[in-house]
Amino acid sequence: MLRWCDLVLRAAAPMVPYDLRRDWLREWRAEFAFTAARAARLNKPMPIASLPRALGAIVHAAWLRWDRWRIEMIWQDIKHAFRTLKARPGFTAVTVLTLAIGIGGTTAIFGAVNAVLLRPLPYPDPDQLVRVYKSSLKSPGTIGGTVSPPDFADWRRQSASFVELAASASDSLALTGMGDAEQVPAGDVTGGFFAVMGTAPLYGRAITTADDPVGGRDVVVLSHAIWVRRFGSNPSIVGQQLVFDGVSREVIGVMPPGFQYPLRSEIWVPLRFSARDLETQRGAHYIDVIGRLKPDVELPRAREDMAAIGAQLARDFPSTNRDHSASVYPLREAMVSNVRQSMFVLLGAVGLVLVIVCVNIAGLVMIRALGRGRELAVRVAMGAGRTTLVRSLLIESLVLGLTGGAAGLVLAYWATTGIASLDPSIGVPLLNQTRLDTVVIAFASGIAVLASVVFGTMPAWQASGIGDVVTRIREEGGSTTSDPKRQRMRGLLIVAETTLAVVLLVGAGLLARSFSRLLSVDLGFTADAVQTFNISLPDSRYASPLQRQAFVETLLTRVAANPNVESAAAVFGLPLSNFRYGISTSTRDGIVLTDDEQDGLTLQVRLVTPDYFKTMGIPVLKGRGFSAGDRLGTQRVVMLNQTGATRVWPDQDPMGHQLELGTRLGLGGARAGGTVVGIAGDVRDYGPSARVAPTIYLAHAQWPDGSMSVVAKARDGDPSSLVQTMRTVLQDLDRDVPMSSVRSMGQLTSAAVAQPRLYLVLIAAFAGTAMLLSAIGLYGVLAYAVGQRTREIGIRLALGARRGEVLRMVMIQAGRLAIAGVVIGLGAAAIASRALRSQLFQIAPTDTLTYAMVGGGLLIVALVASWIPARRASRIDPLAALRHD
Amino acid sequence: MSITAVCVLQAIADGFQYGFDIIDQTQLPSGTIYPALGRLERDGFVKSAWENEQDAHADGRPARRYYKLTAPGVKALADAAAFYRSLLPAGKPRAARG
Repeated sequence: MLRWCDLVLRAAAPMVPYDLRRDWLREWRAEFAFTAARAARLNKPMPIASLPRALGAIVHAAWLRWDRWRIEMIWQDIKHAFRTLKARPGFTAVTVLTLAIGIGGTTAIFGAVNAVLLRPLPYPDPDQLVRVYKSSLKSPGTIGGTVSPPDFADWRRQSASFVELAASASDSLALTGMGDAEQVPAGDVTGGFFAVMGTAPLYGRAITTADDPVGGRDVVVLSHAIWVRRFGSNPSIVGQQLVFDGVSREVIGVMPPGFQYPLRSEIWVPLRFSARDLETQRGAHYIDVIGRLKPDVELPRAREDMAAIGAQLARDFPSTNRDHSASVYPLREAMVSNVRQSMFVLLGAVGLVLVIVCVNIAGLVMIRALGRGRELAVRVAMGAGRTTLVRSLLIESLVLGLTGGAAGLVLAYWATTGIASLDPSIGVPLLNQTRLDTVVIAFASGIAVLASVVFGTMPAWQASGIGDVVTRIREEGGSTTSDPKRQRMRGLLIVAETTLAVVLLVGAGLLARSFSRLLSVDLGFTADAVQTFNISLPDSRYASPLQRQAFVETLLTRVAANPNVESAAAVFGLPLSNFRYGISTSTRDGIVLTDDEQDGLTLQVRLVTPDYFKTMGIPVLKGRGFSAGDRLGTQRVVMLNQTGATRVWPDQDPMGHQLELGTRLGLGGARAGGTVVGIAGDVRDYGPSARVAPTIYLAHAQWPDGSMSVVAKARDGDPSSLVQTMRTVLQDLDRDVPMSSVRSMGQLTSAAVAQPRLYLVLIAAFAGTAMLLSAIGLYGVLAYAVGQRTREIGIRLALGARRGEVLRMVMIQAGRLAIAGVVIGLGAAAIASRALRSQLFQIAPTDTLTYAMVGGGLLIVALVASWIPARRASRIDPLAALRHD
Repeated sequence: MSITAVCVLQAIADGFQYGFDIIDQTQLPSGTIYPALGRLERDGFVKSAWENEQDAHADGRPARRYYKLTAPGVKALADAAAFYRSLLPAGKPRAARG
């Protein structure tokens, strides 16, 4: 038995690494000898179980081999990889740089996607947070719909699905009494709000349902940001009084950093509804409702619950709630639904760039691996197996990939910082939360490893397929042409790269054409020289409409007195400021409209001063604009925009006709409306791609409001030169009325297309990178092919081939690859560009011109890229070529 | 730490210091025990030495390699044993070690 065991040990021993072998044998032999000695002492034979135990020695030997291989060989491979890469600094630099661009770009965009779509919202149990909308049954699936206070109160009372439901409204209050007045974005919230959000204040207390009753104490909760910025992080601010909009409010709490809802709020004040509000305001939709689901309630149940309540309200209050229901959406979905698709398209686009990077590097590595054929062949000859070679090449790729990944991470850090600081007017919620967190870093590392495997595996297998070493060495020594199989593989890579580049270029081309159409849209006003700012007169000191009217008039007169001001006016509802104030028409020429008619005739209401149309360059197409004579006490007059005029009086001239809106404004609460005295040109209030809303203009002097945007046109064409004058005039009039949202109409116009512009810039950058990479790839492959065929071309030339023929031969080779890539790419683009449909304006995803330009352009680029190697080929000296290697 | 590693450490702690003794004690196959010993030694939880040559020769056999716990090994065993015990349902008798 002992002999058998020793036989097994000797058979397994060669597997054990040499330096461990002696001790290994000694240990195992000693154990078996001990077993035998013990058995002998007892006069027994050596147990039969010793044999399977000896078989375990084989496993042990294999394990030692693997362990050694794992530790030492991999370390050696890493060292070898670094040495090899250092020896070829050009190749290494190009590879690391392209990888850095690919990985950095992908990581940065993933960082944004992570912030906007993936990372949990910064509130406890964010999955339980939902938005509840009053939704129209006529347009199911549309996310959105503000709520009226009575509906909210009924929902809150009747629903059984929520821990709490709360209402909020975005507001803006002037902080005064401490240096310069400042307009602060505020959230008006009902008592359940902070319970819904689940976030406790850092100091003090939050607003609670005890603050709900009308007549309660005036209190305010500060955000962390304003607490740091304006109050020097002083915790004793809690309990002090601050004046907002002329009302003294007690600071009751400070929220922790990062808490922000509604977005951009810097303070929160109680939103209160009187018994009368809850009786009369069922048609006044201006609040947002947010809720926290009970832990055991799933979304579908909450939806059923709210739909049932909505249906009951529709039966109880048909005039306001007919055809409406209550819909529930997860908070995240409600916030980002309109940007989700574009974010994923961007991620897809940058992912394509990464794939192109990988394909490109695969090509480079493959070419280099072939160039190293002799080295690899020698390694095979010396006993290196296929796996050893593959492992060694893979580790080289990993070293490259991880170095590129590290460089990419630096780029991504830089890019994410840029993304986070983009102007919020771009309208992508949560984008400012973009940062390199562990998830994003893990993503970057993941794609670095993945990329290395992608671009490392193929060449590694190809290079290791070295069957006959002798042939290989001979081949490397004196081949006339390169191996057609490998040539085909490289060709395939080029075709793939070109295909992807075409897809991206078509996307960029479509977006560029769409963007130029957006820019050429006539917004309906010419206001390049117009400066604007907002004022909000506090109700406490400007309670009467006469006071408000007087203030605005005096302000405008003083602003217009500046010699550089051509004209000045004020408007309630500045174009492009995303202002919505839609009211249904209740009577037309004295006849009360039916509910359906009223719903169909919702008009956007704008209050303007007489010089508004002149200052903004909005043409008065018919009749007259408002004049100084249209005041309180004179005949009430209105103007309509063209769309509004045709909507209200489709078949008649509206001039001289009368209409009234379903709301009461201003002094005495008269119904807003009057006689139509003029028709103004259409203005695209919501940006170039949005439809023109039917609009009614009321004379500010007849319906004075305290929240106005002042517009002033600069004579010298430079609106910013007016800001200082305007500020001084306003401060002289009332120090406690702050100037807010100071911007020129040019800035607003630019901001209106900021999102499509950013989108275009990003996609175009990706597409440009893709094109450059595929050109480099094509150049690299051809240059290498020409190098490989030097001898062949030399022989051809020596045998009488003309240089032009050689040039043509190489160009045709390149042309074939490029055409294949372009044709497949255009087909793929026709499918992929459907994802862009919602981003395109007046351009079809299959726009022929774009496809033709991209196809043609890329072919030209490909030919240019192949020109240099082709020319080099045609200039080969036959004598030198025949001496080649 | 794997169950195998804990069994090996516990066997050594119980005084079974030679490879085959550990195999007999744990009832695990030799192809499992030796790699486990190798890993534990690499990780610094056990160290090995050769028994006294003279003693072995007196017994008529070559010297065997024996293993003993290091300080980190003792701590790792205590931690791992506590962890595995915590997985047992409370109140139920634990299997006694032989």
